[in-house]
Amino acid sequence: MKKKLFAVLMSAVMVLGLAACGGTSEEAGQSGVEEQAGQGAAQGEEEQITLRMAWWGSQTRHDITTQVIEMYEEEHPNINIEYEFYSFDDYFTKLKTLVASDQVWDIFQLGGNFPMYMDKIYFLNEFIESGVVDVSEIPEAYLQITQDTDGNQIGLSNGLNTYGIAYDVDMFNEAGVPLPTENWTWDDYADAAMKIKENTGHYGSSGFTSSEFIAGCSTYIGQQGKVGEYAFFNLDLTGMGFEDPSMLEGYIQMRADLINAGASPDAGAEMEISNIENDFLVTGEAGMTWVAVNQFPTIYDICAAEGRTLGLAPLPRVTADGPSGAAIQSSQMLCVSQDSQHKEAAAAFISWFQNSVECNNVLRGERGIPVNNQVREALKADLTDGQKIMYDFVDLVGTFEVPEKINVLSPDGQDQVVDQYRNYIQQVVAGEITAKEAAEKTYADAEAIFK
Amino acid sequence: MRNCWGTEELSVRVTSESRRLSGVFPGGEKGGLGLKNTAEAIKISKWKNFVNNDNTVGYVFAAPFIFGFVCFSLIPILTSFYYAFTDYSMGAKTITWVGAKNFLHLFQDEIFVKSLGITLKYVFISVPLKLAFALFVAFLLTRKSRLVTVYRSLYYVPSLVGGSVAVALVWKQLFARKGLFNSILAEAGLDTINWFGDQKLALYPLILMSVWQFGSSMIIFAAGLKEIPTSYYEAAEIDGANGFQRFFRITMPCLSPIILYNLIMQTISAFMVFTQAFIITGGGPNNSTMMYALYVYNQAFKYNNMGYACAMSWFMLIVMSAITLIIFKSSKLWVFSESGD
Repeated sequence: MKKKLFAVLMSAVMVLGLAACGGTSEEAGQSGVEEQAGQGAAQGEEEQITLRMAWWGSQTRHDITTQVIEMYEEEHPNINIEYEFYSFDDYFTKLKTLVASDQVWDIFQLGGNFPMYMDKIYFLNEFIESGVVDVSEIPEAYLQITQDTDGNQIGLSNGLNTYGIAYDVDMFNEAGVPLPTENWTWDDYADAAMKIKENTGHYGSSGFTSSEFIAGCSTYIGQQGKVGEYAFFNLDLTGMGFEDPSMLEGYIQMRADLINAGASPDAGAEMEISNIENDFLVTGEAGMTWVAVNQFPTIYDICAAEGRTLGLAPLPRVTADGPSGAAIQSSQMLCVSQDSQHKEAAAAFISWFQNSVECNNVLRGERGIPVNNQVREALKADLTDGQKIMYDFVDLVGTFEVPEKINVLSPDGQDQVVDQYRNYIQQVVAGEITAKEAAEKTYADAEAIFK
Repeated sequence: MRNCWGTEELSVRVTSESRRLSGVFPGGEKGGLGLKNTAEAIKISKWKNFVNNDNTVGYVFAAPFIFGFVCFSLIPILTSFYYAFTDYSMGAKTITWVGAKNFLHLFQDEIFVKSLGITLKYVFISVPLKLAFALFVAFLLTRKSRLVTVYRSLYYVPSLVGGSVAVALVWKQLFARKGLFNSILAEAGLDTINWFGDQKLALYPLILMSVWQFGSSMIIFAAGLKEIPTSYYEAAEIDGANGFQRFFRITMPCLSPIILYNLIMQTISAFMVFTQAFIITGGGPNNSTMMYALYVYNQAFKYNNMGYACAMSWFMLIVMSAITLIIFKSSKLWVFSESGD
């Protein structure tokens, strides 16, 4: 009898266990609804609100963002923020699964690839009108960088950003190469890389990380012709912005030549770079690397601690007097999600995140130069050397002639084009195809997005 | 499935035991109370019958497995079959039926064809090597020594940490430009080798990693070797057979059913290789390590073509089934069975 009882008991425990597992999500869902109903009744003032937030980035960013979240929670006792952070790739893998299940975080970070997630973004327009989101100190031009073509405010930019080439001053001197100038060309760039390889044995230029497609390949197109004549994709992201694939050829050939000469890492070595903090420039194995300038202060500090000095140069041009192809853009932005139960509270947090001087004193422009005038001035008062270089650089790029309208967004499907493009370069390196063929294939792949 | 049957057997034993116990007291506890509530009594006894039924107990014990199987295997498998005929992508709210388009597109996709070739190459090189190595080590460890169990456990460790990311990261470091192997080569005054930068070479460190994880096959081989009666060897020795003859005429035939088992299991798991390529090479250079599973992952999660990725998975199922079938069919020729049919 006892044994029978035992068997029944054990099975009961198991069934209960399963029921409990299955039950939690339902309960959570219910409580969410209740909370919202309650919020309506109590006018949302005293109600406990839980916001979910996520971002990608480096360890520094995780630390300081966590810190400001705690500050906000202290100021607003009724708000509880549950946060998650990931590396760039993992962030988007996770985001895609949340999009599929309609559970996107209340507050989430997006970059230039936001058109893919348009369905999930709740525009800030109504909150700006009602004053929940304060934009009084943000210049119109900086609001525009995070608006869609219809003028809807998609999010508030976390900071201004642009691409540049960070270089090791000592390595340039050691190799006897003149330092990059404001309007140096790709030929100068390739020469410098080759000479550094020959004279110091190090890589001339470090790995071509994912931003290279936009900073290099795509910019290269914009630099040809007159200012604003060509772009990789057209302005409303419905097709290509240039017609002749051979416009890509020179750039692809240069990249393949650099890799073949050992002046730039091959695919295997490139895999050893996991983030900007262990880039070959930072480890002292390369003379130059690509950066989004908000990354510059971090690597500047790391190298300065080892007694090395880094400089920051604009992207090389096709011709010294041609268009720069550079653009000031939003590094990334915080958005409110369509799935959020507490859109207003989420918007209020975003407003605080961008506008509070106190908050930005902790963030210190790690995500890019703040768009709020007061915040920017407050931070300028007390800059580190690396940050000073970054501010000056962004000011410099701001003086370059730019087309009236630019498109810094990526169409849905660009990821595959970029992977294919990088692979074609490896095929050119291996001698399987020519640079001309690689250019044609890349063009065909990119065009296929819009079919 | 093993769990399922295992628990059922156990529960059968438990209930038959309890039945025997209740047989000792034929009246039962309620017997003396008369038939006050006959209907209730019948209800209770029906309930009791149901609860004590072997099948009920069996299913209850198997429930966790069944739950997991249905929720995390069966339903995803069925939905993926549906998705394979649609243009579904994660996050998309509309799903359009596209028929066999995904499957037709497969063969126009250069990377798909390449990844299929590479995965086959990986399977055909890594599985035989791994099995040969596992058998070799198992054979060495059959000698009677106290340390054998220690060695056996030690050799099993790499398999325990199996497909883990940590091992892949270590492997990446070992073969890096300035990793251990290149340092050794440099110390010895040789040229260093660009393992992951050379597309002709990049696959081999990955194969080596899989061969290194030979532990589970080795344990199974070791168990199989123990089963071979020593009298066979003694008889052969008396007849003057040397070591090689004993190995190839006695060990191999007696072990052939186990070789078949290991061959099939390892082939299937080799087809699904993902971690090494994902962590170490990312599929490069020039897609020379673009394993099938990695390409499926890229299509599904990176390029947002879930429907296409599902079609790829189902195609893989067909390829794997075909190869497994060939192995099974061919087993008649080389697997020795004592029943002699």
